[in-house]
Amino acid sequence: MSYVLSALQPNVLIPLLISMFFGIFVGGMPGLTATMAVALIIPITYYMPPLAALAMILGASFSSIFAGDIPATFLRIPGTPASGAAVLDGFEMSKKGKGSLALSLDLICSATGGIIGVLLLILVAPPLAKFALRFTNFEYFWLGIFGLSMSAVLSRGNLMKGLSSALLGLLISTIGLDITTGYPRFTFGSIELMDGIGFIPAMIGLFGISEVLKRIQGSEKELELPAINEKIKPSLFEAFKIMVKKFFIVVKSAVIGTFVGALPGAGADIAAWVAYGVEKKTSKKGEKFGTGIVEGVIAPTSANNAALGGTWIPALVFGIPGDTITAIVLGAMLMYGLRPGPLIFQENGELIKGLFFIAILIQFLLIIVGYLGIRVYTYFLKMKTSVVLTAVIMFSMIGAYAIRNSYFDIYVMLAFGLIGYLFEKIDVPLAPMILGIILGPMIENNLRVGLTKTGGNWMPFFNRPISISFIILIFLVFFGGYIVKLVKKLL
Amino acid sequence: MKKVLLVILLVAFTIGGLAANYPSKPVTIICPWGAGGGTDRLARFLADQLSKELGAPFVVVNKTGGGGAVGHSAGAYAKPDGYTLTLVTLELATMHWLGLTNLNYDNFDYVAQLNTDPAGVIVKADAPWNSVTELLVDIAMNKGKYLFSGSGAGSVWDLSRIGMLNAVGISPDYVTWVPTAGAAPSIVELLGGHVDVITCSIPEAWPQISSGQLKVLAIMADSRDPRFPNIPTLKEQGVNWSSGTWRGVAVPKGTPKEVIKTLENALKKIYNSDAFKEFMNKNGFGMTWRGSEEFYNFVKEQDQVWKEVLKIGGYIK
Repeated sequence: MSYVLSALQPNVLIPLLISMFFGIFVGGMPGLTATMAVALIIPITYYMPPLAALAMILGASFSSIFAGDIPATFLRIPGTPASGAAVLDGFEMSKKGKGSLALSLDLICSATGGIIGVLLLILVAPPLAKFALRFTNFEYFWLGIFGLSMSAVLSRGNLMKGLSSALLGLLISTIGLDITTGYPRFTFGSIELMDGIGFIPAMIGLFGISEVLKRIQGSEKELELPAINEKIKPSLFEAFKIMVKKFFIVVKSAVIGTFVGALPGAGADIAAWVAYGVEKKTSKKGEKFGTGIVEGVIAPTSANNAALGGTWIPALVFGIPGDTITAIVLGAMLMYGLRPGPLIFQENGELIKGLFFIAILIQFLLIIVGYLGIRVYTYFLKMKTSVVLTAVIMFSMIGAYAIRNSYFDIYVMLAFGLIGYLFEKIDVPLAPMILGIILGPMIENNLRVGLTKTGGNWMPFFNRPISISFIILIFLVFFGGYIVKLVKKLL
Repeated sequence: MKKVLLVILLVAFTIGGLAANYPSKPVTIICPWGAGGGTDRLARFLADQLSKELGAPFVVVNKTGGGGAVGHSAGAYAKPDGYTLTLVTLELATMHWLGLTNLNYDNFDYVAQLNTDPAGVIVKADAPWNSVTELLVDIAMNKGKYLFSGSGAGSVWDLSRIGMLNAVGISPDYVTWVPTAGAAPSIVELLGGHVDVITCSIPEAWPQISSGQLKVLAIMADSRDPRFPNIPTLKEQGVNWSSGTWRGVAVPKGTPKEVIKTLENALKKIYNSDAFKEFMNKNGFGMTWRGSEEFYNFVKEQDQVWKEVLKIGGYIK
């Protein structure tokens, strides 16, 4: 039990708490990502004992992934990429005056999802990591297509408009250096465009800036943000009761999230979208998703926090990163004098046990820290709406700039704000476009690299077991409903 | 008259002071690669040490994108006053040949090179080959059978492979290059058995090598690395080729000579410190020192070396 004691020392707990508050701040700022929170903390951690250092990283990453949902719910601006799916039902609930409840629920489910993710990390890491290694370009291609098929699920009402939005997203994703040949596409000689359209500035623009534009063109009354009229206190107890009732959704989404997180080629953002899509498709309330129902809040948030646990699976078992955060952590471990990879369990067994203990502890601390975060945020929103909206634009600009210290990204964000605004005027859903931008490179690169590997032979895309499973899943997404109806008729 | 004299004196002091008191305000170090990566870690370590050495804050700014073009350009086109340094990497010698930018080595003045990381030839632990010779013979007899990876197309690890094959007279198209976003995803592909060989620096794959999942057939260096004395060089095995990536500090062309000298001296002192050795060791970075003049000549020579390799690989028509 010495590892529990060593984890409970003040020299671990105090830095942990500080990093968690820091994570809430970074995650709550639009555009500043969990990865950035960790990258900013790393230089400080070099002066700490390894356990405290790793505790700080875990604390900052879990709390910032949760905090990303705060602006997503109140302002429709995802605080981090992993909160993209949280804007859908969270913001709708907020509009109905239930923003605090949505966030309390979000917080409780984040912590629970986090616990499930960490438990899976502790219990089934080796087999899951081995399974994840079987994924290569052929499987990732289908995972991408599966994710993209969610855009059909996400487009309420008009399927054509949803697909147009997704296709536009795919087109945007082709801008930049082509990874398979190294050739710049649609860059018009601009070096800023070589890395493509930044996904984060595009997302802040599409969801956040467009919302601000919508508000300022309305009357004085419409300008007001929904969160302002409601009571400030987040209702944790009520949220807990709802979570218990919907516990199965939390577990299902957390398992999906952990698995997607464990894949070295996909992280918390994709996990949240997939969990949302799966829940919408399998739920009896499917049609109501996107109108502000609790199920739509629970699924993505349980998945994205669980995914963080998942990303540590390949990192600890093989020493390969599960996402950008663990990629940074693996580098930092060298500085702590640790050797990442399978040997770490033998060489630093006690440390890893302590780390697992802390990871669970963080989920409980998250409820306290996150609760305070929500309250501070609501005070901010209590200010005059004109002030809030101005601050939102300012912070969005800072966030867009901070990603790679580029002014260009601010223009990208503003341009996408306008696109988002215009698209919503003509009822084109924005979520499919985001999916297209995230998944486009995954689909295209894996298809092309896969074909490079086989010398142009398509068979491995169809005859590998995991590929076939994905094809069946995609088939079910589109035709599952009809099959069930048909079977019912025949019986 | 007195006033005029005073003004002249003041101006003279200020101008003289600018160079003599360098650095008198915060200095930016541009890192063309992302936060948390190897180059970034080196940049931050140097910033910390330079701040202590020269008494002004040195701040790292990551300007990423365009395969390194964005950061290198920002650094090259900054004001040549010594307040913007760039942590330049090998890509400076390749990206303009690849058509990514017009910027080349001549847009910089050079302070010092601090690091080289040679490429390794790495395979799965249970692979049938136990030496590079066995591997190369196998490749020569089985055109199109084996998959190589390591990073993107036209990246240093791709060029390392092309150079190695070319050195023994095998056309690079005898194997297929599987492009990825970097060494880490290539290692995943190798562990999963989806590619056969990767070329990347040994420290990048060290966790998997030291735990016995992967093995190294050769290192592409002129002599054995004292940290990995059991790994033979390509040259020992009759393949006349060495290759690797490197990192150093450069300033915009036209920076005052005294400023460059000040920085070079400070870096030299840091390079010889125990703290630097410990840092480089922990990170698995190889240490190489080239001063201002020497570094410039090295980059100039590299520019031509990679041009040839890119031609062989079909990246320049």
